[in-house]
Amino acid sequence: MESLVLSPALPAVGELLVPLQQSDWEFVWRNREFLLAGTAITVLLTLSSVAVGVLAGLPAGIVEVYGKGRLADLVRNVGVLLRGTPIVVIFAFTFFVLPIPLPGGRVSVLGTEFGLDAFFAATLGLGLRSAAYQAQIFRGAIQSVGEGQMEAARSVGLSKLGAIRHVVVPQALRRSIPGFQNEYTIVLKDTSVAFFIGLAELLTTGFNLFVQESTAVFEVILAVSAVYFVLTFVTNRGLDALGERFTIPGEGSR
Amino acid sequence: MSGTDADLLRFEDVHQSYGDEKVLRGISFGMDRGDVEVVIGPSGSGKSTMLRCVNRLTEIDSGHIYIDGEDAAAMDENDLRRRVGMVFQDFNLFAHRTALGNVTLGLTEVRGMEKAAAREDAMGHLERVGLGDQAHSYPGELSGGQKQRVGIARALAMDPELMLFDEPTSALDPELIGEVLTVMRDLAADGMTMLCVTHEMGFAREVASTLSFLDEGKVVERGPPDQLFDAPEEARTAQFLERLTGLHDEDERSGGPRTSSDGHGESDGGEPSGTRRGERP
Repeated sequence: MESLVLSPALPAVGELLVPLQQSDWEFVWRNREFLLAGTAITVLLTLSSVAVGVLAGLPAGIVEVYGKGRLADLVRNVGVLLRGTPIVVIFAFTFFVLPIPLPGGRVSVLGTEFGLDAFFAATLGLGLRSAAYQAQIFRGAIQSVGEGQMEAARSVGLSKLGAIRHVVVPQALRRSIPGFQNEYTIVLKDTSVAFFIGLAELLTTGFNLFVQESTAVFEVILAVSAVYFVLTFVTNRGLDALGERFTIPGEGSR
Repeated sequence: MSGTDADLLRFEDVHQSYGDEKVLRGISFGMDRGDVEVVIGPSGSGKSTMLRCVNRLTEIDSGHIYIDGEDAAAMDENDLRRRVGMVFQDFNLFAHRTALGNVTLGLTEVRGMEKAAAREDAMGHLERVGLGDQAHSYPGELSGGQKQRVGIARALAMDPELMLFDEPTSALDPELIGEVLTVMRDLAADGMTMLCVTHEMGFAREVASTLSFLDEGKVVERGPPDQLFDAPEEARTAQFLERLTGLHDEDERSGGPRTSSDGHGESDGGEPSGTRRGERP
């Protein structure tokens, strides 16, 4: 019955391909705060996930290069598992299965509510998977720093940890910026999969909009895509600038 | 000369291998404080490995290495390395730190100095190798010779009792070798104990107290440099030195750089010839 009621309102294919319906753009504009709230949640989720990714990924990368024995094996195997699992499955695990209690309660961002449990589960899922990828970025960067750097540091009496911290990692971090730019972009866009566990991030808010006004599907999706693009572009430029700021004089361009 | 407790560095029947490949096959010798030992030998003879065993960048299979009477194997490796400076063929300067930063790292992190004091101390070492004005340059902005001098300053800053030089000039353009050798000569003159793997025969003849010829993981012949150059006892030593000299003759013919290994009249003057290298264009 419902579909019968709805079907006259569904746009023809031709109309869908013309994203210039003024009324639909006005609909997007009227709901800008709603989309902005989604954007804010997307940004927060990206930041928290990337942070978890760096905090877990850098040590994991170091362990993969320098670690021995069970710990290194464990890190490698968990990494393979996380990289080999679809993000939706990871979310299902962190949201529904994880045997640790998720924080309860709801938080309102710019008038849009979201559940802390979903946010936490999404951060954990995206963050841990990102850590698995970032570990490989850092591993590659660490391995690209010549063995001679470690030897020179050891030869002045630095401990292995001291050499890693003061000599290898500072150089490796600089070299991981290009790979990190990729990873950041992927995390940003994969926040949209949090849709699956009901987190009202940007794509979810967009989806909620065009089920209200189904003629505006294309316009809403374009608007949402534009926001993702701007976020990606701005942050990548920021990371470019960071890379240039920390370029080692005399080392040439990155 | 070897085997006394007074030795600053003593090798006793040191063996080392990488897997099945035996690199050192029973090395024994001793160095007194202030000695300059130059080690020569063909590629793969174990020269670098021998140096690396001293500060335990490479661990030995059997035998003993004593530093000032203490068994190196029983020492804390970081402590050992603070007492034994090392200079590398490829410099291995910390690429992300300035010349000054290269020298201060060990001072602050190993010797526990305050930053300001470390900087002051490091400046002194950079000035000693003639690089006070390059303190704020990064390795990528320095010439090979300057890099190696920073490498020497970095090692000196730890106030080592012994310095290891692993082919310190082999990666340098010929015109940059002189400035590094000059610094090494000055160090020797100041009484630093130095174990040097180098094929700079001029340096060996002028500065070395002892010259060792290493082949297939063994010391084939060891003695005062003049003796090895002029009257080697072993045929292998003679052959090797002949080959080195031959190479240098070729350099000379082609107008390239020369070392003084072929200039037999050089060692008898007793004059400090430390500037000879530096005089080359």
